[in-house]
Parts: sequence; structure tokens; C-alpha cells
Amino acid sequence: MALARLILVTGKGGTGKSAVAAALALALSRRRPTALVDLDQQMSAARMLGIVPGGNIANGVNHDTGSIVNIETRTLSAHHELETFIQRIVPLKSIANRMLRSRTFGYVSAALPGLEAFLMLERLRMLAVHAAAEDRFAVVDAPATGSALELLSVAGGIKRIAPLGTLNRLAAGVESFLADESRFSVMLTLAPNELALRETLEAADALRGRLGVSVAAAALNFVPAALFSASELAALSGYPACRRLAEWRASAGRLAARARRQASRAGLRVVDLPMLFSPEMGRHEVEELCRALSAQLLRQ
Amino acid sequence: MSGTIPPELLSVHVLVCLGAGGVGKTTLSAALAVKAAMAGQRVDVMTVDPAPRLLDALGLDAQDAAEPREVALTDVQGRPTPRVGRLRALRLDPKRTFDTIIARHASSPAAAAAILNNRIYRNLSQALAGVGDYMAIERLLELSDGPTTDLVVLDTPPAREALDFLDAPRRLLDLINSRAITLLGGGMRRGLGVVDLAARAVLAAFDRLTGLHLLGDVQAFVHSFEGMYAGFAERAERARTLLGAADTAVAVIATAKQERIAQIKEFISELSACGITTRAVIVNRTLPVMPTAEEIARARIKPPLRRKLVRTAHEFAAVRQRETDAIAALRAALPAGVPLLKLPDLGREPATLADLAAIGEALTIL
Repeated sequence: MALARLILVTGKGGTGKSAVAAALALALSRRRPTALVDLDQQMSAARMLGIVPGGNIANGVNHDTGSIVNIETRTLSAHHELETFIQRIVPLKSIANRMLRSRTFGYVSAALPGLEAFLMLERLRMLAVHAAAEDRFAVVDAPATGSALELLSVAGGIKRIAPLGTLNRLAAGVESFLADESRFSVMLTLAPNELALRETLEAADALRGRLGVSVAAAALNFVPAALFSASELAALSGYPACRRLAEWRASAGRLAARARRQASRAGLRVVDLPMLFSPEMGRHEVEELCRALSAQLLRQ
Repeated sequence: MSGTIPPELLSVHVLVCLGAGGVGKTTLSAALAVKAAMAGQRVDVMTVDPAPRLLDALGLDAQDAAEPREVALTDVQGRPTPRVGRLRALRLDPKRTFDTIIARHASSPAAAAAILNNRIYRNLSQALAGVGDYMAIERLLELSDGPTTDLVVLDTPPAREALDFLDAPRRLLDLINSRAITLLGGGMRRGLGVVDLAARAVLAAFDRLTGLHLLGDVQAFVHSFEGMYAGFAERAERARTLLGAADTAVAVIATAKQERIAQIKEFISELSACGITTRAVIVNRTLPVMPTAEEIARARIKPPLRRKLVRTAHEFAAVRQRETDAIAALRAALPAGVPLLKLPDLGREPATLADLAAIGEALTIL
């Protein structure tokens, strides 16, 4: 299966979205130049890769560090997108600027729910257009599932409140972009626990049903390699503390197997990512996740 | 061990649990409410988006839980309890709460209907970020007025910033009272300057260019809100007073993650800037106590199995180190005097009231 030009990574809080986004960008960048796009200004994914952004990064800056030569980091801000949009549709620059500066306009944009979010989506659509033209990829480190679904739903709302005109046209374009799996898909991150599994399955339902968005994969994070057999666990029954330790690892394995089974049953392509027993999430750890992703997702 | 959490945390009238998404606010709110009720208080707990099992544990119906329901505490008593209070639980329904408020503040049923059917209102009540927050606060005001309630425990929508939540009433007020609304509201007010007139023309052009054609709706919306401002302003003022009151406690829920600490610190200083003191930070899902490599070496186990245990102990130690470092950094980031509590990971989601009670018991000072 060919990957979409732009892949948006989201998942429940604590499932390792940023690390997975960083690993995916790293994996893709070894094939084609890749943009790593951040929507929350934290740049956590870039930081994990050791690309510490500095200065004005609103328009994207190339950072060459070590073997990361093909990743361009980029951060999008809703407000910046709104400014750009106003400047585009209001012909006179001085009027556009006055409008943006007025408090009045701030309130009006607050009363138009989703306008800023919608313009972010429009920006993602344009990023995908450029990616296709230049044979590149883009990976978006998105907010947690709830906000991400809200973001992806916003085009429909805009179409309803603007039945005609510029915004309606743009909204139709964004909707067809989101529904086109060669241009856009979502990767859901998943941790082996009940709440994360539930949220992932619900999100996958909403994406593929209501929103018509393709789900490239569910990245099942924190999967420990199998270590203790059932008979070994039983042999430890006389040593409660040791048993607890073995159980700590074995139960994580069982939960992972269960999450994998249920996600597969829901028709999701599940990619296992290893549990990394290391004190922090850095470049080395992202490399490990990258290897696992490449082997399972990018194999030809 | 139940005496190990600061008693003043639960001996308040309102306890607000704040934190980022996914840290376990809802579960902890319910567990704290159960704990207080078991200690004899009459408690109301309002949850936001609870997991199905938690709904079951609280005896709430997934469809209809917008009004407080009494939770039978008798199920929890595996052991004698000196005096059991009362527990009621409900689930926040933002849309319904907003509709109720409109109905209450509107001058007539016709005026209320006009607002409820307005395009702007329908979008505002469903999509505008912050409406859920505002509704949680509105519900809190109602619950805290209950004459038979000692303690209201409030779970909150996931907040990127603490202020998003606490500031919600003021932001909504700003919106309905803004100059924009005055401008768009049609009727010429005194004091409109040249800039305002220009802005109005530009907004009209914007409306045309974008195809939104919202001005008519905005005008109708503003007109229908006329006369309601005083009611909203009064609620916002009361919310501010309530949140800053001495018998209101704010607990920040967190997990031991290094990358979240700056955010928590910022959270707490934002709260403090609004005159709200954080009474506790609760670190959720901490790791359990495990044997060390030396302890494993002493156990009489076959070497191959022992090697696996030793390997697991090393792996666990690395994960533990991550947690220890994060907790140390968190403590260093907290203002002096804010107690840090921990709740070990129980390894499963609570499915019964007894599970919730167990969580309350497992909470200890770090």
C-alpha cells in the first residue's frame, strides 16, 4: 500500500504521539525529504530527534544534524493562518492589517467557530499539494484524539455556515483532500491499556465512518518482548516479590496482545512498537521506533 | 493508610480536579468523592466523559445522567465504616446546560426559542472551544448551592491551559458584550469612531467575500441576548468568587512524565495569578515497589529463570529511574508548601465502587 503524502499522527494522551511522529518522519526521510509538522508549538517531536528549533520557525527552516538531513521542521499556528487568510481575501493590505489589529475582529473570529482550525486544515491540504509536486512526505504531530477529530470535522461545519462563497469552496476542497487516501491518512497511536484501546477504536470509527478518512495504521506502542512462559510464572508462586516483577512484564504483554487482537478485528493495520526500557526519550530511542516502523510499515 | 493524605484536601466545599488529557482526572475525581462520602460527607461528583466502566461503578446511565443520581454506598462496605455520608454523581452535558441557562436568563419563552434556533448559537453551543468549560463552571455553581451538599468534586474537561477552564465565564461574557457585537448588532450606539465605522464596513465586506452571510444572524443573536448580560455577568462574578474562596481546593492531576513538568508549573502559576491556590498535586499511575537484583539473587530459583528476572529488574530500574527523575523535577518546580501525592497504578480500570474506594485508600503523600 502506498503511503499518503501527508500522515497525521494522533492518539490518546500518553500513547507516545510525538515519539511515533518523530520516528515516522525519520523513517520516511530516509526515502524522501520529509516535513515534520507540529500543531501545538511544543515541537516535542523535533526535540526528541535532537533538532532543537530556534528563532523564527513559522515558515520552516532546514536543520542539518547528524544523519537527519532530510527533515524540515515546521510549526503551524491557527492565528498565523487566519492572518494569512485575511491578507489573501482583503485586497488592501492596510485594511487587512487594521482589521486584524482590531479587538473587534478577534471577537468576530471567536464567534465563527472553527474558522482558525479550518484554515489550519487548508494549510495541511496545501502542504500535501507541495509534497506531491516535489515527491516528498509530511508527518503531522497532531493534538490528542479528541481535538484532532474536532479539527478534522471542522470543514463540514464551515460548509454548513457558509453555504456559498470562498469559504464554501475551500471547505469542499479540504473535504475531498481528507477523503483522498493518496493525499491524506491518519496514524493512530495506541498503548496497551483499556482506555487507550477504547479511544482508538472510537476514533477509527469516526475517521473511517463519519469523516471518510483513511487510517494508515494503529501504532501499538510499549509492546514488551515476550519473556516469561506460563510455567515460569507458576514456578515463581513461592516468591511473591519476584512473581510481581515477572507479572509486571507478562501482564503488559497480555494487554498488548489483547489490544492488537481487538484493533485488528476492527480492521486496523497494527504496527507493534517496542517498549523501550530507557530513562528518557531521545534520538537513540526514536531510532529504535523508526527501525520497527520501517520494518513493518515501509517494507515493499 | 487513609490518614496519609492531607485532610484539608477533602474538608472543603468545592474540590476542582484540573489536568491535561489522559492523566486520570475523571477516575481520581470519582475516587476522591467516594473517599469523602465514606468519611461521612454529603458529596456530589460531576464527571466529564467517563469511561463506560466508571459509569457502571457510579451506577450512572450512559444516556441520561445529566441530573445527580444517588450512588448506593452500601456496596463498598467490606468493613465497618463509622459514618457513611451520601454520594451523588452526574455527568456534564454541555449543550443541555447551555440551553437551560438560556431558558433561565431569556426574557420570554419566545426570546429563548429565538436564541436556541439561531445559527450562531447552535454553532457556539456545540463547537466553540470553552463552552464545555463554561458549562462545567455553571453546573458547579448550581451544585455548590445545594443546601444538602457538603462537598462538590468537579472533574474538568482536558485543558491545555488552566485558564482556558477558569476563565471561561469571563470569555463568554466578553464575547456577548464585545464591541464587535455592539457594532454588528445594528442599532447605532453612541461613541462609534471612524475606526469602528471602517471596521464595520470591512466586516461586511469580509462576510460577503467569505460567503458566510453571518451578519444577519449575528445581529439577531445579539438582539436576543439583550437584557441577559446582567444575568451572565452575575454568574461570572460568582464563579470567580467561588473558585477563589478559602473553602475551594484545586488539585492538579499529573503523571510522572518529564516532558509535562514545565506545563504543570505554568498551570500552577497561572492559577496563582488568578488568586487560586493549588492545594495538592497528585501524581497518578506511579510504579509499584519491585524486588532489586540482589533480592532476586537470594531467592532459590533455577538460573535460567533467575537471569530473566534479573534482566526484568534492570529494565524496571530504568523505567523507575525515569519516574524518580520526573518526580524530583516536579517537586523542584512546585511552589513551597504544595503537597505532592502519589497514586500507584492499579493495573486496571475501576469497575466497581469498591475499586474506587481502593484508589482513595492507595493515595499517599510522596
